[in-house]
Amino acid sequence: MPVILHRIDDRMVHGQVVVGWGQPLAVGFIVLVDDTVAVNQWEQDLYRMGVPTEIQLYFATVEEAARDAARWREDPRNGIVLMGDVRTMDAYCRLALPVARVNLGGIHQKPGRTQRVPYVFLSPDEFAVLEGLAARGSIVTAQDLPSSVPIPLESLR
Amino acid sequence: MNRGSLRALLRLLAVQGAWSYERMTGIGMGYAAEPLLEDLQASDPARHAAAAVRSAGFFNSHPYLAGIALGALVRAEYDQVPANQLERLRAALPSPLGALGDQLFWVGLVPSVMSLIMLGLAAGVGWWVLPAGLLGFNLFRIATGVWGLHTGLRSGAQVGAAIGDSWLPRWTPRFGRMALLLVGAALPVVAAVELGGATTVARWTAGASGLAVLGLSWRLETRFSPLRLSVLALMMAIVLVGVWP
Repeated sequence: MPVILHRIDDRMVHGQVVVGWGQPLAVGFIVLVDDTVAVNQWEQDLYRMGVPTEIQLYFATVEEAARDAARWREDPRNGIVLMGDVRTMDAYCRLALPVARVNLGGIHQKPGRTQRVPYVFLSPDEFAVLEGLAARGSIVTAQDLPSSVPIPLESLR
Repeated sequence: MNRGSLRALLRLLAVQGAWSYERMTGIGMGYAAEPLLEDLQASDPARHAAAAVRSAGFFNSHPYLAGIALGALVRAEYDQVPANQLERLRAALPSPLGALGDQLFWVGLVPSVMSLIMLGLAAGVGWWVLPAGLLGFNLFRIATGVWGLHTGLRSGAQVGAAIGDSWLPRWTPRFGRMALLLVGAALPVVAAVELGGATTVARWTAGASGLAVLGLSWRLETRFSPLRLSVLALMMAIVLVGVWP
């Protein structure tokens, strides 16, 4: 069982990811894909403090993540690949193997974005990028926690 | 403590008062930052305006540890840290503060205090254990808030290292283990008392069985969750009370 969740969440590593998804899915590793964090030691130190010792936290640029995607998918542990924004996910999906499901877990208010569900705000451009992902075969849904019902991309229009 | 810090601390007590999905605790953080940014208003009005807007942006962390982030971000504003680096810091801080705060308070301290109160009531110490427990919890919470704000204000953009070197990451897991032990002790004892007719020996044997199970889990770090172990201890207590004359 490889990567079981590809998630976009601008809070990156936080309780909803580590406890909300990590515990019920018995996650063994999380990959945080972010070009800036991947080269920034102090940010990595901060994120590491938010993860229990039994979960391995890796940092990768989009390029590194795409290169290592196949290896993670063969990892015997359950894993989460996490990104902070729609464009990073799009870039990853273009470079890596096809991603079956993309989870929108938390994209919050910024200028130009409108609220689609309480925890997902999207600009028209971001929505178009997600539509592109869906057109290339990924199932895109909004779902903050495993216990909540996944909301299809079409309902976020 | 200067007047600005005191006002910021008081405002932090209501940091979730304007919580919304749009900014989460951002408005509360902005409100708490305002007294700390007053000196910046006098020395650099343009920077102050930008800082005030930034301080009220999206933010989400444990409310009791939000002072660490508040202090660090305000200090970074005075240190003229570039805006993009401030945004990165603001984005990265919720992760450790949320995780450590949840473990320290919700997983560790709250169940520990509740268990102590239950044990005190079950042992017949008196009703005063209830306000004493609440007082103790809130004193700790406020002391942590004061420490957090000072740590943040002292360290600024180096707050990650300051948190890492502090008591917080070292002691937080111990609070969780303390909660395991106390919940394990309290549940069987309270159950024994509530079931009625139990002798003192049965009560304390039940409590000791809970302690033993949970102590073992602490020692061996078993895969059992605290909740499962507590339920197991509770069941042991019921059996013990049932068979003890």
